[in-house]
Formats: sequence, C-alpha cells, structure tokens
Amino acid sequence: MSKYIKSVLFAAVLSLVCGGLLTLASTGLRDYQLKNMELDMNKNILKSVGLLEDQKSYSTAAVAQLYSDHIRKMWVDDEGKVVPEKKGGIDLPVYLFLQQENVNAYIIPIQSRGLWGKIAGYLAIKNDGATISGFTVYSHQETPGLGGEIEKKWFQKNFEGKTILDDQGDFVSVAIAKGTVKGQIPKGRQKNYVDGISGATMTGKFLSAGLKETLNKYEPLSKRFRMNEIK
Amino acid sequence: MKVTKTKAFRIFFTPIWESNPISGQILGICSALAVTVQLKTAIVMSLALTFVLACSNLLISLMRKLIPRNIRIIVELTVIATLVIFADQVLKAFLYDISKQLSIFVGLIITNCIILGRAETYALGNPPFHSLLDGIGNGLGYSQILITVGVLREFLGAGKFFGFQVIPDAFYAAGYENMGLMVLAPGAFIAIGLIVWLQKTVSKE
Repeated sequence: MSKYIKSVLFAAVLSLVCGGLLTLASTGLRDYQLKNMELDMNKNILKSVGLLEDQKSYSTAAVAQLYSDHIRKMWVDDEGKVVPEKKGGIDLPVYLFLQQENVNAYIIPIQSRGLWGKIAGYLAIKNDGATISGFTVYSHQETPGLGGEIEKKWFQKNFEGKTILDDQGDFVSVAIAKGTVKGQIPKGRQKNYVDGISGATMTGKFLSAGLKETLNKYEPLSKRFRMNEIK
Repeated sequence: MKVTKTKAFRIFFTPIWESNPISGQILGICSALAVTVQLKTAIVMSLALTFVLACSNLLISLMRKLIPRNIRIIVELTVIATLVIFADQVLKAFLYDISKQLSIFVGLIITNCIILGRAETYALGNPPFHSLLDGIGNGLGYSQILITVGVLREFLGAGKFFGFQVIPDAFYAAGYENMGLMVLAPGAFIAIGLIVWLQKTVSKE
C-alpha cells in the first residue's frame, strides 16, 4: 500500500471514530444541557425584574418557586391584547411579572443580531409601558472583554430607569450610545441611551437595532400599558 | 532504587516544578491570564486542561506507530479537538454556570500550545504509560500556577477566597480598597512574572 493511500485511510478512519464519539456525547448529554439552558433562561427572566441578586446562588427549586409565583407566560396578538394561548402565527410571547395579582412589569424576549452571532436576552418594562426595569443577556457570541461585556452587570444596570419614549411621548426605543451618554447625547435624549462599550461599537449598533425592531413589534402592547388598559 | 530516582517519577515531577509549562517553558499564558480572576474558574479550567492533556498524550502515544508522519499534526489536532469538545459538552451538562464564565476559553484549549507541544515532543516518541504521566504532570504544573494566580487575584482583587469574603468589612470601613489592577489581565501578567522569578531563584540553589 502506498504511503499516500495509507495517510488518507488513517485520516478517514480517525475522523469517523472521532465524529462518532462526539455525536454520542452530544446526544447523550443533550437532556442535561437543555435543562440547564431552561433554568438559565428562567433565571434571566427573574433577574430582569430584579427578583434574583447577581452575586447569590439559588437552588433549582428556589428558582422554580419564584418563577411560578411571579411569572406568567402569555401571548400578545396583533392588536396588543394579552391572551393566554397562542392563536395565530403572529402572536408574540411575553412574560408578565405579577405582584399581588397586579402586573408590575412585562418582560419581552430579545433576539438580536450581534457582531459574531445571535444575542438573546430579556428586556423588562414597567407597567407604565415606558420605563425599563431591567435587561439581561443569556446567550451571545461576542468577543470576551469587548462585545462580551453585554452580559456584565455594569452594562445591563445602565438600562434600569431608561425609557423607550421621547419627551413628546412618542416611541423612540432605547439605544446604546457610542461612548458615554453624558458626553455624546443631547440632554433631552439622554434617557433613551445607555453607555456604550469601548471597542465594541458594532455590537452596540446591532443590539440597538435589534432592540428597536423588537420593541416596535411589541408597541401595541406597550401602548395598552400606557393607556392603563392592562392591570 | 528509591522512588524519587525512577524514570516515571522524574517524568511526572519535572513538569510540576523544574520545567513547569507556564513558569519554566512560558507556554499557555493566554488562558492563564483569562481565567484566573476567580479561583473557581481557574480550578475548573485546570481540571479540563489536565484531562485533555493526559488523554491526548495517552491516545497519541498509543497510536504513535500507526500515525503517518506527513499528517501527524492534523491527527494530533483531531484527537485534541475531540477531547476538548467532549470536555466542553460535559461542562455544559453539569457545570453550566462555570462553563458560561469560561466561555470560549474551554474551546481554546485546542490551541493551547502546551498540549500540541507535549504531543509533538513527547507522546509521539515515548510509550503510553510514560506519556500519560507526562501529560498529568504537565497538567498539574499548569494547574499549580493557575491556582496560585487565581488565589492571589481573587484575594487582592476582590477580597475573597473561593467566593467567600475573607477581608472583613471593618477593613473596608477603615479605608482598605480592593486592588483593581488584579482583576484585569495586567495583574495576572505581574503575578505570573513574580512566580517565574521566584521559581528561577529557588531552583538555582
């Protein structure tokens, strides 16, 4: 057998064996991983409305308890009405944060483009339909230390108290500034911007666009909250 | 013959201190800077790397007579990559939070020069048992530095040990402040530099 054929054969067999083993590992561990991901998403929902503190660790049961006590998954139809079941293809998921049977805030799942991949997280808006109560990211592919800072508390904390409306009460969304808000943004608009991450202008740009697109889709719901139609 | 004089013993212990992969050979610095802000991530990273290094050395040594010379680097990388992805999947299944903190650095074990270096220079030319010992030894040598730097950075940078506050609040009230530099990468550079200095000085004697 020539040296050339031997190399090709060896490479083929090795790839097959390695590929097979990896497939086995990933299918075998899939259930555990999915469970972890679900728990992590629930944790992020709770974090966006301030029910979990960042530094503490919580048991799975504690998270499940908090979640079932305070969070209801609902759907929004195209007129902005909240319905318990998904009906049409255009209905959007929303999580309601309940306190003493009142809706304290609503949580919108965010799917945005990032620089290197998808960014997924949650944005919680208070029941006035305008003020942001929290923002979290549970999955992204951005560069650690640069765009990856979007998962850090200092960045997410800046969203708290910002609003998606301008002075006239029109929808403008919330965006990430290039640089700091104080230095770059005129006074009247500062409440619509959060501090950017230095070295990650593109991540900020994509995330701003993603937030605007998503918030725009949920605008009928936000309007109802602003007109006090949902309690 | 004393245990300390056997070849196996020497293979195992030389990389832990004398020719430590980080402080002696200055390899694998990138991950040592990135994951040592906290002790917990440093330990998990150490375990993952030691596992990959031991297994890759063993497997490559077992196949050393079969591997065609002209594609040996590709073969080594395939074996290493398989092990790394496996370790990553296990971490995602059982230590999800830590795997999120380590983010891409587990995946980057593939490019850690310690592993390919040991496969090329040792496992390809030595029998399986010695290669396994060499892998574990180098892994522990790497771990030792990572854990030392991790302890130092977490203590000086956050006043914590393994996530527990060890510097009492009274100190902070009296004006003590955490060293911000230690949380950043330069802090790790300085810490590793000091370890290299210490090691060189001690082993001269």
